[in-house]
Amino acid sequence: MDDFDGEEEATTFVVDDVSNVIKESIENTIGGNAYQHNKVNQWTSNVVEQCLNQLTKLGRPFKYIVTAVIMQKNGAGLHTASSCYWDNATDGSCTLRWENKSMYCIVSVFGLAI
Amino acid sequence: MVSESEAPTSRQPSAHSMTKEEAVPESTYVIRPNYANKFKKTRVKSIISKVIAQTLEDKNYDPDEVGKWTQDICNTVKEQVKQLEFERYKVAVQCVIGEQRGNGAKMACRCFWDSDTDNYAQDSYTNNSIFCVVAVFGVYFY
Repeated sequence: MDDFDGEEEATTFVVDDVSNVIKESIENTIGGNAYQHNKVNQWTSNVVEQCLNQLTKLGRPFKYIVTAVIMQKNGAGLHTASSCYWDNATDGSCTLRWENKSMYCIVSVFGLAI
Repeated sequence: MVSESEAPTSRQPSAHSMTKEEAVPESTYVIRPNYANKFKKTRVKSIISKVIAQTLEDKNYDPDEVGKWTQDICNTVKEQVKQLEFERYKVAVQCVIGEQRGNGAKMACRCFWDSDTDNYAQDSYTNNSIFCVVAVFGVYFY
């Protein structure tokens, strides 16, 4: 009889799962709101914290770095880029862009295998 | 009754053997970087500020060029941080460049890592038409 491992632990970065986690955290925090300068501090902290909590609940052997940028819609342009020195086989990143009528939110997650 | 007691023979560690056979690397079981090899925040920060100043000095926001600037800054900073030779560190560099039009923007980051070994460095630059933020994260590989 073969040994049945039970659930296989993901040891490579799975972009889709992380992307869903990010989307949920953004929508739960700033879902229906309009840009408010006095609240933006708290929103970015909340987005990032929720994201990180959900990611750690996935229980995978990864270290995570989550960054979020919230910007008011004003016609201004924004660019982000990242360059990483890591192990391509196991590590990965996921960037999600979300918007509503008054603001943009860009969240990047880097996952580095232990 | 003869009792014999033998002193345990001491073996020389194999690292000192000078055989011409293939050298098998021994595991070091190192799980923490040496204090001298830790991620150096201030050195990395000075690299970041130099690279940004070189790339963006006297430039105005140009939507066609901005993509190239972000990628160039990222790659240059990564190469220079690699040259600092932090052993067993993985590096992630993120660069954000935006246009200054009087709008508000807020950037935050949070990390789930080992705060004894991992660290980050960041710097920003603004002029009349651009703002730029670069963050470098160093994560130790056990």
